[in-house]
Amino acid sequence: MNATLLIAAHEWRRLRAQPFAWTLAAVVLAFMAWQFLLALQAFVDLAPKLGGLKDAPGVTDLVAIPLLRSLSNLLLPLVPLVTMRAFAGERRAATLPLLLASGVGNLRIVLGKFVGAFGYVLVLVALVAVMPLALAAGTTLDLGKIAAALLGLALFAGALTGIGLVCSAWASQPALAAAAAFALSALLAVVDAGARLQGVSNSGINYLALPTHLEPFFRGIVASVDIVYFVLAAALALALATRRLDTLRGSAD
Amino acid sequence: MTSPAPTLALVQAGRRLAGRAVVRDLDLELARGEVLGLLGVNGAGKTTTLRMIAGVLAPTSGSVRLGGEDLYEHPELARRRIGYLPETPPLHVELDAEEYLRFCARLHGVARGAVTTAVARAIERCELGEMRRRPLGTLSKGYRQRVGVAQAIVHEPELIVLDEPASGFDPVQALRLRELVRGLGREHAVVLSTHVLPDVSACCDRVAILHRGELRHAGEVHASATTSLRVGVARALRADDWRALPMVVAAEPLDLGHWRVELAPGSAIDAFAAAVVAHGFGLTALGADALPLESTFLAIAASDAPAAVA
Repeated sequence: MNATLLIAAHEWRRLRAQPFAWTLAAVVLAFMAWQFLLALQAFVDLAPKLGGLKDAPGVTDLVAIPLLRSLSNLLLPLVPLVTMRAFAGERRAATLPLLLASGVGNLRIVLGKFVGAFGYVLVLVALVAVMPLALAAGTTLDLGKIAAALLGLALFAGALTGIGLVCSAWASQPALAAAAAFALSALLAVVDAGARLQGVSNSGINYLALPTHLEPFFRGIVASVDIVYFVLAAALALALATRRLDTLRGSAD
Repeated sequence: MTSPAPTLALVQAGRRLAGRAVVRDLDLELARGEVLGLLGVNGAGKTTTLRMIAGVLAPTSGSVRLGGEDLYEHPELARRRIGYLPETPPLHVELDAEEYLRFCARLHGVARGAVTTAVARAIERCELGEMRRRPLGTLSKGYRQRVGVAQAIVHEPELIVLDEPASGFDPVQALRLRELVRGLGREHAVVLSTHVLPDVSACCDRVAILHRGELRHAGEVHASATTSLRVGVARALRADDWRALPMVVAAEPLDLGHWRVELAPGSAIDAFAAAVVAHGFGLTALGADALPLESTFLAIAASDAPAAVA
């Protein structure tokens, strides 16, 4: 097993041993299950009226996609809580020298931490996705649209995980890392709000905003420009985190 | 035929932090089978030196060489060949000792099939058997320190770097640590930083004393120990009385009944004892003076003038 996967597997083992990770997962799943049941009930109530409409929205558009969109909003505060300890927690507990003295390069350490945290978030996304997918037993779902939405969510979560990691590498306290990551992610989520209020939707500032690239996935559109945006955002964040580890090696911390 | 490169060599190694030279122009060599004690007051540069040796902190001048290869040109050397215990043991407290050591072994390149044996050996050497399944967060400070030592040796590195390993140990644990370090010193090269001078006397073959980032003394731990004696006598003596003994080069009163006596190099202690008895000084006690290292250390700590390296 290479060092990246070894560190990632170790991160999962550590998460598994922490009540924090289980509690966070339980809270997220309970909240999303509640939202799912509310959306399902609303759909059941609305279904008779929809029957007479031409091209009426189905359960995918009225239950599955709104649920996944709601999960994307929840990921903004959730991912920083998962990533905050990656480096800031190691520094606070004085355990970072274990990795720094292991001869494993900084990039591999960062990638290992990324895969570990991203894997946890993906498991949560997958567990939430099971809720609408379970409806396939009794109705017809637009699986292509749901797959596109899940791909978008995964890319979005990857970018947020990268942002969380770079904040954890720069901050010396986990709480500070979480706050900084949330602030940065929230800023990227609303950075084009002013432009949109003015009716501008294709300017440079719109391109910077996370929802600009996530929304097409929820409409079933998979565009390479959106994939590249999320991959670039994650890659840039991981490069900055690696650069930060280089600096930490040279500091007195 | 050229002699093999030493396991560790610091060549004019120096490190600046925040614009200040924390260590300067360090030259040190260490071979497999040797234990080097690194001494110095707080702020002398010991931890920075150890971090450079361990591959955590790159030197800003000079080089750190492992088996003749530059550690910072080949950082992967650290993975298999260096074991490092920092001042605070880097423990993942939510795991138990065995899980943690398995990760450390794999991190340092131990093959999957050899991990179980390597972990069992480290646990046995550090006497962690009873605690192997306990979460590290529930262990006492002494046991945590032992797990820290175990993670530094689990991959059987050539060079073991221990920063204050006896911190938090009770006297029995400290004694066992000395035995462990002595044992490790037979198979590995060990660098040990400590404030406890008896640990250096008991465990180390050589000592290096740092002060204000400079190497002020390097030499054998026991090189001069046999020439300095602590002597108890019943008679009231003057320094001139000692000079009547041919092997005595200096004598200094410690109190009314005790003297520190320096013998000429190569003098036999039994001949000295016989001479003291023959001169009727009333010998009441005779022992190796444990203070040469301490006096050297204190003299360096108290002085700011650079001294020649022995």
